[in-house]
Amino acid sequence: MKRSFGKLAPLTLALRAGPSPRTRGEGAAKQRVRGALAAFLAFLATTAFADTVIRDATILTVSHGKIEHGSILIRGTKIAAVGPNDQVQVPAGATVIDAVGKFVMPGIVDTHSHTGVEGSVNEISLPNTGMVRIRDVLTNEDVDAYRELAGGTTCALVLHGSANPIGGQSQIVKWKWGHPVSEWPVADAPRTIKFALGENPKSSNFRPPPGTPLQYPQTRMGVEEVIRQAFTDAKDYAAKWADYDARKKRGEDPIPPRRDILMETMNDILAGKIDVHSHCYRADEIMMLLRLSDEQGFKIRELQHVLEGYKVAKEIAAHGVGGGTFIDWWGFKMEAYDAIPYNVALMDRAGVLTSVNSDSDELARRLNLDAAKAMKYGGLSEEEALKLCTLNGAKQLRLDHRIGSIDVGKDADVVIWNGHPFSTYSRVDTTFVDGEVVFDRQKDLQTRAAMAKEKADLLKKEADEEKKNKPAKKATDEEKSDE
Amino acid sequence: MKLRRFLIGIALFALYAPLLADAPGVYAIAGGTVHPVSGPAIENGVVIVRDGLIEAVGANVAVPADATVVDAKGKHVYPGLIDAQTSLGFPSATPPRRGRGAPATRPQSAATELPQTSPEFLAMHEVKLTDDDMDAKRATGVTTILTAPSFGIFNGQSVVLDLGGGTMEQRIVRGVAAQQISFNPRAAWTYPDSLMGVISYIRQSLLDGQHYAAAHAIYDKNPAGNQRPGESPSAVALGAVLRRDVPVVFIADSELMMRRAMAIAREFNLKTILSGARQAYRMPNDLKDVPVLVSVKWATAPAAKEDREEQPLRVIRDRVLSPTSPAALQKSGATYALVSGPGKTGDFIPGIRKAIDNGLSADDALRAVTLSPARILGVDRQLGSLDKGKIANVVVTDKPIFEKDAKVQRVYVDGREMKLPTEEDRARGRGTAAAGPLDGSWGLIVKASTGDVNINARFHVEDGKVIGTFSGDRGSGDIRNGTFDGTTLEFTIGVKATAEQEDWVFHGTLSGTTISGTVSTTLGTLPFSGSKSR
Repeated sequence: MKRSFGKLAPLTLALRAGPSPRTRGEGAAKQRVRGALAAFLAFLATTAFADTVIRDATILTVSHGKIEHGSILIRGTKIAAVGPNDQVQVPAGATVIDAVGKFVMPGIVDTHSHTGVEGSVNEISLPNTGMVRIRDVLTNEDVDAYRELAGGTTCALVLHGSANPIGGQSQIVKWKWGHPVSEWPVADAPRTIKFALGENPKSSNFRPPPGTPLQYPQTRMGVEEVIRQAFTDAKDYAAKWADYDARKKRGEDPIPPRRDILMETMNDILAGKIDVHSHCYRADEIMMLLRLSDEQGFKIRELQHVLEGYKVAKEIAAHGVGGGTFIDWWGFKMEAYDAIPYNVALMDRAGVLTSVNSDSDELARRLNLDAAKAMKYGGLSEEEALKLCTLNGAKQLRLDHRIGSIDVGKDADVVIWNGHPFSTYSRVDTTFVDGEVVFDRQKDLQTRAAMAKEKADLLKKEADEEKKNKPAKKATDEEKSDE
Repeated sequence: MKLRRFLIGIALFALYAPLLADAPGVYAIAGGTVHPVSGPAIENGVVIVRDGLIEAVGANVAVPADATVVDAKGKHVYPGLIDAQTSLGFPSATPPRRGRGAPATRPQSAATELPQTSPEFLAMHEVKLTDDDMDAKRATGVTTILTAPSFGIFNGQSVVLDLGGGTMEQRIVRGVAAQQISFNPRAAWTYPDSLMGVISYIRQSLLDGQHYAAAHAIYDKNPAGNQRPGESPSAVALGAVLRRDVPVVFIADSELMMRRAMAIAREFNLKTILSGARQAYRMPNDLKDVPVLVSVKWATAPAAKEDREEQPLRVIRDRVLSPTSPAALQKSGATYALVSGPGKTGDFIPGIRKAIDNGLSADDALRAVTLSPARILGVDRQLGSLDKGKIANVVVTDKPIFEKDAKVQRVYVDGREMKLPTEEDRARGRGTAAAGPLDGSWGLIVKASTGDVNINARFHVEDGKVIGTFSGDRGSGDIRNGTFDGTTLEFTIGVKATAEQEDWVFHGTLSGTTISGTVSTTLGTLPFSGSKSR
């Protein structure tokens, strides 16, 4: 129902404005028809605009503390009101969700996802593949997106892989399950790109087949050089266009330079139009990238993984760079040996904008628990820990004006839990994205039987048809040998 | 002596006359139910064929005195079917790189032109149709095909051919039908090796096509003081596409791939045809503005019941619903045709039948393999219906063509009657009775120092020349420089050895259904043996 909102809005607005001058003098019958139509549309509109009130829950706003016995009014795609029960009015016709004993928190933001990508997440062939775009290959048929909603995750940065120093352009999405994939990207979100440092881009974990040439770079020095070269080339490219524009202005008719979508990407990074999210582990390579960004004049928005971030947290903070990390994954490869679970708390305390993220379709379903662990490892407060999987990620994605906390005017991406989200016993009951229920546990349980029946029916239909067609098929189509 | 030679001559002529079919005759195909497609069926109708064209069609048409009368009483007469998407006459895998080994170093930037697959590739120059290919196709009532390779990204410029006699040049109906693009990533470590890379590659190539045109326009106007822009056959070919002179056929099966193709088409304002389209049932109303070639190579269920039950609902649902795509497109008013699809030839007629079982009327199905594809390919003024003046591609069947046990009994292509494979030929799975001892599939084993190398080869002998394809442990591709004199066989294949691409030259002797001999390789001479499959 909510989906019809967009289509109806202009109509209802027009009707609300009252009869236009053009309608004056029209026949009474026509007027009556119009009136009836208007009434009908108005009725539709009220259903489309239908408000939802989540009543009497413990609300973890993340931005302004915990509200016991609180209510949230969702109107359209936005949060219209939040506060103690007596301060939030229930409008007539609103759907009221009785959430006594339940907890509501903002949708979890995962700043490192590879969910919802068709085909390889790596364009592995070249050291710099900044021309490729995740948004070209998003798929709304990846069931992991739905499973992540069932774990309270509503928004993600879908990244290119880490096989090369400069990977592809990444995409910020909301898991709008059931919607066309064209509606998944967050429309006004910044463009992003993946960089990668360390073992992966120097091919330690991605070897070309034996007997074929190795891929440049093979060392951390080489990784640095690939990135430096890319920006150097980009500046040359921009200079060529500047020269072309200047000649054109002088009235000449020069041949334009060749448009190069990779070089355009690199220049968009330099212009601040594309945010860099860089995969990294070790302190030395982190420092390298920070210095390189100063040297070349580009901005790093977020360091990804950043497992040795605690060693250089002050420097990271001084650069205004965020860190998205794992809470307790360590030792899984050489460059993760110095990882410690206190990384999150240490970076956070040093002033680094820190989040926990998943890099995994599975972990993405329980980032709430990874955030909770930061209370144990380093003693963050509950609200500080909650921020790790919500508001801080939203800030790293530069979307905190829209998501990451329960505040009036923000997108209605909220999750109702049957207990505190930091308890391993808690489950998600309902997940809203843009005001629409995209996961509901009761509904899910109910549809399972229907889906099992549909499957059985389809298989039976198929088997029956095969039986019907088989004998004749053998007799007539002997020339076919497909099977 | 002279008389005997003369008699033998006559006997031979009588034997081979139907094969030669040198001159188009005058035929009156009379008495059958004529389905012109452009109009309603005509009971007891007559189709007059003269000089390769249709002279007349109707119920009360006088049979010319010079016509050979073909009695079609109780039979059905159709325009030859058009299969508007095939890869007939091309190997199914990427052919080996010719003469060059793998590069010693990896490229550091994206090359704009890829080997083996390029927009300038002309299918009409490279297609190698065997008699088997054409016989098998004609036996299903298909007289016209579109073909292009299925490998690579820019598959090249497809050709529309009549499956008639004569030379390849004589068969061509439209030399450049469309530019064909497939979303095929290349092998890992070669740009582009991911789907997103393929899309970027296509976009950059089209931008290069735009740049080429712009640069040349400026340079031609004023060469003095400007750098010479250089030549690019690929950009020239894409120029025709960007000017909308040549349509693009995007091979795209799923809803998402079709939408991705349409996004590229919008970005570059291309004249677009979608091909594959097996998920068209999910978006029939979004396909009203773009012609669609629906591949009837429907997905097949796993044989074992347990395997089926293990599949997710969405896979099963898609498999069951995709054959409803043609009916859904018919209902939405889209322009569509039914085709085999690129790659291996599948069950064309059974595939169409499945679409009919899933809600398409037989009349609509017929139009979707005659007049509709002719229109989509821009050849409807000469093909697609039984109308005066059109090319005389005519098919006669014993029953309505899509009925389960219907048989194609006569086929005319360009006004010539074509010999149909006999039941015996079909039973042997081959097209013509002329198949020699080498024709067919062979399993070859090369004894290398590192162990046996298995290669499957398919040979076809024509005038002492061996053509065919191979695949196996060391890659796949075409048989080259093949000769066969009845006992001695020689041919070359390009194989993937350790790091390099190299040629292996086979010399063998045939005895019955086995071959043995030697292979010349860069590592020396190796023994090989082989036996005929099946």
